[in-house]
Amino acid sequence: MPAVVEVRGVEKDYPLGKLTVRALRGVDLTIDAGEFVSIAGPSGSGKTTLLNLIGCVDVPTQGSVSVDGQATSSLDDNGLTNLRLHKLGFIFQTFNLIGVLDVFQNVEFPLLLQGGMDKAARRARVEAIVDAVGLTPQLRQRPNELSGGQRQRVAIARALVTGPRIVLADEPTANLDSQTGANIIDLMKELNAKDGTTFIFSTHDAEVMRHANRVIRLADGLIVDDGRGAPRAEVPAPASPA
Amino acid sequence: MGVFLRIAARNIMLARRRTALLGGALALVTMLLVLLLALSAGLSDTIVRSATTLSAGHVNVSGWHKLTSRDAAPIVMDAQKIRAIVEAETPGLDYTIVRHRGWAKVVSEATSLNAGLVGINYAEEGRLMAQLQLAPTSEYKDGGDDTKVGDFSEIARPGTAILFAGQARRLEVGVGDVLTLSTETSDGQSNTGEVRVVAVAKDMGMLSNWSIFVPTQTILDIYQLKPDTAGAIMVYLKDIDRASETMDTLRDVFMRHGYGVMDHNPVPFFMKFESVAGEDWTGQKIDLTIWSDEVSFLQWVVTAVDTISFVLITVLLIIIGVGIMNTMWIAVRERTGEVGTLRAIGMSRRRVLLMFLLEALLLGFFATVVGAGLGAAIGLAVDAAAIHVPVAAVQAILMTDVLHLQVQLTDVLAAIAVFTVVTALSALAPALRAARLEPVTAIHHIG
Ligand SMILES: Nc1ncnc2c1ncn2[C@@H]1O[C@H](COP(=O)(O)OP(=O)(O)OP(=O)(O)O)[C@@H](O)[C@H]1O
Ligand SMILES: [Mg+2]
Repeated sequence: MPAVVEVRGVEKDYPLGKLTVRALRGVDLTIDAGEFVSIAGPSGSGKTTLLNLIGCVDVPTQGSVSVDGQATSSLDDNGLTNLRLHKLGFIFQTFNLIGVLDVFQNVEFPLLLQGGMDKAARRARVEAIVDAVGLTPQLRQRPNELSGGQRQRVAIARALVTGPRIVLADEPTANLDSQTGANIIDLMKELNAKDGTTFIFSTHDAEVMRHANRVIRLADGLIVDDGRGAPRAEVPAPASPA
Repeated sequence: MGVFLRIAARNIMLARRRTALLGGALALVTMLLVLLLALSAGLSDTIVRSATTLSAGHVNVSGWHKLTSRDAAPIVMDAQKIRAIVEAETPGLDYTIVRHRGWAKVVSEATSLNAGLVGINYAEEGRLMAQLQLAPTSEYKDGGDDTKVGDFSEIARPGTAILFAGQARRLEVGVGDVLTLSTETSDGQSNTGEVRVVAVAKDMGMLSNWSIFVPTQTILDIYQLKPDTAGAIMVYLKDIDRASETMDTLRDVFMRHGYGVMDHNPVPFFMKFESVAGEDWTGQKIDLTIWSDEVSFLQWVVTAVDTISFVLITVLLIIIGVGIMNTMWIAVRERTGEVGTLRAIGMSRRRVLLMFLLEALLLGFFATVVGAGLGAAIGLAVDAAAIHVPVAAVQAILMTDVLHLQVQLTDVLAAIAVFTVVTALSALAPALRAARLEPVTAIHHIG
């Protein structure tokens, strides 16, 4: 499998008053197409930071990130925006749907940003993906009329509607109860298996982590286990579910 | 574009209170602007109407005659010939009339005043007669009432006069009374004549203070002028907007016919006595003016109304602009998280900018359309209701005793366009700020 994400020698510093927070301190990572990857680690270990860099919403202080063979350092804001629009999908912890649009319109939105698809094709595409996440009955409802799990399904549909190479999800289950969270991860996994879309998600929840084919462990801004070759059995089960 | 419009519209409707306040204010100011523009247009319209009936044609062919280089008489000699040239060679001509001009001391039993004399030929004065209205006697007589006495058509008889109510009041005369006109001829002799008041007309604003109407023959007699003279040949065109170019055409025409033509001096004839008397020539010269030259001393009224309107509207616009800017700042701050999300999923900076601008434009457009519509409706209603202006000073300034508002489509459209643009400009800084938000900071701004 070809690599879709290559992270080389990445450091990320955040200025914090007169101090500098070293969120990532030299990260090397390769993720192949079609992987279903979890990024784990304690709070403050740099999970969000790493996802932001892979997601091209932030740039590293040192090192390079390339996405689908494209070195992100060579791109300006427009180039990065286009890369996000065409190659990446985002799922957020807080769902981040557009409140004034209904389910159909939220899912349709990235296609409108991309342009170049006629109305009928767009409609078919949106309805198919909404059906895949099981929300056809809610097609004309607004986000505030949906449950948390349903909202996250809408977000998944929105992330996938453009057929991205990679879907990034920062703690997609943190605002959901554990059963709903598990269902969401199952759905993501199902979609990963069906189209081979690469999924990278972060989580605190060991139960959620279990579903991943590969778990990358971060601690204090460094990768302590890149999840390659390590048998899954070694992942310790939590004492009690979060 | 559809989805952006929808987002903008929904956001506007979500912020209902803010929208109502800001949109309402914007609509009110637009309405005010439309009404002020209608007032100004109405005023101009009144001035045009009264000027072109009382004082001037669209174009005036008048002249100065100097027996010696030091005098100046506002007379056109050989009037028939000149009128024939005008009628033959004026493009877009409707008709011409001839008037005579004079200046006299008007003496009644009680008092006297100085006034311009306008010598008219009743048969030609359909336009004037259509405008003049008999004043009820209460307007010029103590103890008068609503009855209207007199008859304008009697001005066709020799030795008659039509006064305006204000003049009749000052002279303490009414219909049937006799006035003595006393004047000096160009060679310095004093002459008098008597006229009988046949009608008293309602005042027509400031213009009606200056002149009284008498038959042409009365002026010829008092000034001992030859019959074939005129004060001015007043030229009425099919299109008043062509007055200026028609005047230029006539200038060429008269020069071609070998007449001396004076340089264009855009002031009324009665302000030219001194300057013409100071010019070193004798004989006849033709003086061409357009209607607005003859009432240029009234232009300040329009200018004043326009200036006050402009200042008022500008101040209100600045206040509203600040309001819009402030509202958009709040909107951008409230929706920072949304902007971050949109940027993350691939919306460009340009589109974020357009999204916020569109929202402001939409609000501005609807508010101004509503305001302009209201203003136009009120303006038309007020005009149709012919509301009486109670204060004499205001009547004089507005040159009419009923409020005249002229709602013009171009004014309404201009008001909408200007205000919509102002709205968009006010929203520009906040929208730029939204467009510059970094996606990463924006996403994590949970609001
Ligand atoms: N914008 C920022 N400014 C300053 N410091 C930051 C910023 N974002 C993150 N950090 C710091 O960088 C380090 C890594 O943060 P990050 O959010 O990547 O951790 P995380 O693993 O996602 O944590 P959590 O599990 O709590 O979400 C932390 O010490 C954090 O305080
Ligand atoms: Mg995090």
